[in-house]
Amino acid sequence: MTRRSIITAAMIILGAGLMVFAYFAGAAPWCNNAVECSNPRLEWSPAIFVAGVVIAFSSALYYSVAKDRRK
Amino acid sequence: MATTQDMVSDRLPQGVGRWSRGWLLFMALAAIGVAIGVIGWAIEHDQGMAATGMRDLGTMGGATWGVYISMVVYFVGVSFAGITVAALIRLFNLEHLKGVARMAELLTVVALLLGALAIVVDLGQPLRGLVNLFRYARPQSPFFGTFSLVVSGYLFSSLVYLYLTSRPDAARLAESPSRLQPLYRLWAAGYEPTVDQRARDRKATFWLALAILPLLIVAHSSLGFVFGLQVGRPGWFGTLQAPAFVVLAGVSGIGHLIVLAALVRRVLRQEHRIGIEAFTWLGRFLMLLLFVYLYFVVVEIFTSIYQPTTTEQRISDALLTGRYAWIFWGSVAALVLPAFGLAWMAVTRKWRIGWMVIMGLIVNLGAIGKRYLVVVPSETHGQLLPYPIGTYAPSLVEYAVLIGLFSLGALLIGGFMKLFPIVEMEETP
Repeated sequence: MTRRSIITAAMIILGAGLMVFAYFAGAAPWCNNAVECSNPRLEWSPAIFVAGVVIAFSSALYYSVAKDRRK
Repeated sequence: MATTQDMVSDRLPQGVGRWSRGWLLFMALAAIGVAIGVIGWAIEHDQGMAATGMRDLGTMGGATWGVYISMVVYFVGVSFAGITVAALIRLFNLEHLKGVARMAELLTVVALLLGALAIVVDLGQPLRGLVNLFRYARPQSPFFGTFSLVVSGYLFSSLVYLYLTSRPDAARLAESPSRLQPLYRLWAAGYEPTVDQRARDRKATFWLALAILPLLIVAHSSLGFVFGLQVGRPGWFGTLQAPAFVVLAGVSGIGHLIVLAALVRRVLRQEHRIGIEAFTWLGRFLMLLLFVYLYFVVVEIFTSIYQPTTTEQRISDALLTGRYAWIFWGSVAALVLPAFGLAWMAVTRKWRIGWMVIMGLIVNLGAIGKRYLVVVPSETHGQLLPYPIGTYAPSLVEYAVLIGLFSLGALLIGGFMKLFPIVEMEETP
């Protein structure tokens, strides 16, 4: 497996992980619409979600542009 | 006598780097349009939203979402077809459509930027809106999908897609001496047309296309959910909103793509790259989407008049026979006529590019009308509380901003055409 493939996969996993984390940090689906759950649990969690989206899609950029080095 | 500009750019294809009189005139007109938009927005920023025709619902008898939000929906819709077509071309290796792939990707990026700007101009405090979306947006709200998937994910993935598919051409252009050579070298980022690199590119764009297709269905549906999930707003609440948004998005986007492809084909003399087969494919796709959307319209009308509540009745009356009837029936006609026109071409197998361009423009007028009718009537006529019927008419400021947005789109596409080949260059073996 090339270093390129490993880093690409890591970027996709990291991006997806950040999206999942940000979703649960932002959403409060078990909160029954209580007033205290009106705002995200973690401030800036939407920004983390967007960062996850950007990292995941940047993996294609890395995969295509990076120079290959075999392990 | 050849100018310096001619000498440095005569090797670049498709008129890249060369400025014709017609192009300069086009760009000057677009720049004037942008200036009008900036002035309009400056007035709005200075005087507040009172400079627009928008007013509070109910108590002020107006609509808080007007043409700006209609245009958000419209521009995001236009972006749909571009990336869909581009992704389908890569996924199914549709050779005859490769000539329109890059312009489809460009159309997506430009339309998404315009959609994002249309949201910004709708905000009384744009900076506060931009910061707070990143800070407080809630995943429970359909706006979250619009903001995180449409404006961020969809725009970013489209940019990555456009960049990756343009790198081989950038590398080819970097080999020719021109004023733009440093830019192309940077753009190519060390691209070498080796077998390995091509295989990697194919793999990357394939998986990217595969990821983008479901993303854009989710993204467009979430935009439809912004309206369709509002149970307290008659006229909006309904299951058809999301699929209808996706289908009408395809209609407006394919219409735009046909117009742009025909324009590029003629102006850049690319008849050999953008053949009639490409228009035939786009025409059939547009026809299919139009008939599906018209089916939705019929179902929508039937549901709204069969046994409506009082408020639903008020909205359907306003749409079918009242204040908005001319827009409604005008929009329906603008979708029906091209649908049957395209069906006629499909049956007779005689595809006329000129007529298709006219149809592409007409369906876009119809799409703008339908977007306006999705947004406004439910606000002016859909009050559940005992408020009087409201009114909304866009102000001159709003029209100026709209001129600015459309002109900015023209400016970006026109600018790109002189910076980079808008039609993919033919691959050398």
